[in-house]
Amino acid sequence: MKKTWLMFGAPVAGALIAAGCATYPDAQTTRQNAEKMVNDSFTASPAHAKRLAQDRSQQICSKIAGAQLTQQEAAEVVELARASMKYPASGKLVGNWKIGDKLAHDGAGDRIRRGKLENRKENGGLCQNCHALAPGEINVGNVGPSLTGYGVQRGDSEAIAKLTYERIYNGWAYVPCSNMPRLGATGHLTPEQITHLVAFLIDPASPINSKR
Amino acid sequence: MAITRGGIAAVTFVYLALPAAALAQGQPDDPLAVGRQMLMEDNPGELWIERGKQFFYEKRGPKKASLEQCDFGQGPGKLEGAAARLPRYFADTDKVQDLESRLLTCMVRLQGFKESDIVRRAISPGGSSGSDVEALALYITSRSNGMKVNVTLNHQKEYDSYKAGEYLFFRRSGQTDFACVQCHGEAGKRIRLQDLIHMTDKKGAQEVASTWPAYRGAHYVVRTMQWRLNDCVWQMRLPDLNYGSDYAIALTHYLNYNGNGADIRVPGFKR
Repeated sequence: MKKTWLMFGAPVAGALIAAGCATYPDAQTTRQNAEKMVNDSFTASPAHAKRLAQDRSQQICSKIAGAQLTQQEAAEVVELARASMKYPASGKLVGNWKIGDKLAHDGAGDRIRRGKLENRKENGGLCQNCHALAPGEINVGNVGPSLTGYGVQRGDSEAIAKLTYERIYNGWAYVPCSNMPRLGATGHLTPEQITHLVAFLIDPASPINSKR
Repeated sequence: MAITRGGIAAVTFVYLALPAAALAQGQPDDPLAVGRQMLMEDNPGELWIERGKQFFYEKRGPKKASLEQCDFGQGPGKLEGAAARLPRYFADTDKVQDLESRLLTCMVRLQGFKESDIVRRAISPGGSSGSDVEALALYITSRSNGMKVNVTLNHQKEYDSYKAGEYLFFRRSGQTDFACVQCHGEAGKRIRLQDLIHMTDKKGAQEVASTWPAYRGAHYVVRTMQWRLNDCVWQMRLPDLNYGSDYAIALTHYLNYNGNGADIRVPGFKR
C-alpha cells in the first residue's frame, strides 16, 4: 500500500501544481467510470452480457496493482468457493483419463464472435494453455504450475481425487483469487468433464504420470 | 499486391524450422530471437505504409475529402510525432481518443463515411489485403517512427481514462475469471508456446506502446491495437468489444502511458 501511495502520490502533487485542479480520481469515481465503460463498450445479447458482470468473488479478486487481499476478504472468497462445490450425480469423482487427456488439450468452446457462440458440443478444459502436462510435451504454457507427474507425487487415493476435483471445480477454496479459473463453478466445465480431468491427473496409466 | 504468399510462407518456414527443443527453453539467448530479427528486418508490413499514405491523401468518401485536415493532436494534418502522444483529450469531441477512434471521427466528419460501415470493415479477414483503417493507422503511426512514446496526463478526462484503464486491466469477469493481469502480470510466461508480454513492468508496457500496428505473420495482414484487444477479449470469452470503444481506449491509455519513453518502430512483427 505504501508503495502505491509513493507511486501515485508524487505525480498527484506535481499535477495539482501544474494543471490546477486536474488530478487522479479517487477509487470510487474510477470504479464508476470504468464500470460505465464496461456497460457501454460491448455488443451483447442479454444472455452474453451476463459474462461482463462480476460476482462477489471476482470483485474481491480484482485487486489493483499489487494491493493485497485482507484476511477477511480471503476468508469470504474461500467460503463462497466452498459453498459453490457441486459433485457429479453419480458420486464418482474419477472418470476416464483418455477423455480427460483430450479435454486437457482442448482450448476451445464458448467464445463469442459477432454475437455468435462458438458451435461446439462441449467446452475444452484449457489446461494445456497454462500447465505443463505429459513429460516431454513441448507445446504447453507456464502461467500455472507444471502438472507433470501430478499423480506420481500424490497417488490416487479418494482424498487426492476429491482434492483434485475441488481444485478444478473451484480452486479458490484452496488459493483464494489465484489465476486458476473456477472451471466448474463458473459453468465452463460440467462436473462429469472434471471427473475425466481428475483421472487424467491421478490415474497411474495416464501419460501425465508416465516415467519417461 | 506485391506480396507473394509463397515468399511469406518461406520466411515462416525458416521461423518454424528452428529446433523444437530450443522453443521450449525461452531463455534470454533464445535462438528464436534470430528468426524474429530476420523478420523484423524484412517486415512485409512495410508495404502497408505506402497504402496508408495513399488512403490519407486520396479524396474519399461521400464528401470527397482527404484526411489532411484531420487533427491528431498536433494540429490539422500534422502527423509527425502525433501518434506518440495518443491517447489524449480532444476538445472537439470532448473525449479521450486513441489513434483509431480519432481516425473514425475524421473519416465520419471530414469524409462523410458512415461509422457503422467503417467499423464493419475495420478489422480485415486474415489473408486479405487489409482495411483502409489498418493501413491508415500504420501510416500515421509510422510518422512517429524513431520518436519516443510521450503520453501526458493534463485534462481531467485524461486522468480519468488512465485510471479506468488500470482498473480494467485488473478487472476479472466471465467464465474464465480472467482480467488482463492473469496472463500479463508476470515475467517469462507463455500461453502454450506463445510468449506473453509482462505489461505491469515498464519494459513490457513499452513494447506494447511502441510496436502497434504490427504485421501478424499468422494472418498475413497488418493488425492494430484494437484488433489485439478484441482478440484478447474473445479468448477471455467476453462478448464482442465495440471498435473504438472507451474500454479499449482506456486500456490503451493505461498501457501507452506506462510505456512512455519507448522508441516507436512500426510496423511491429507478431507471430
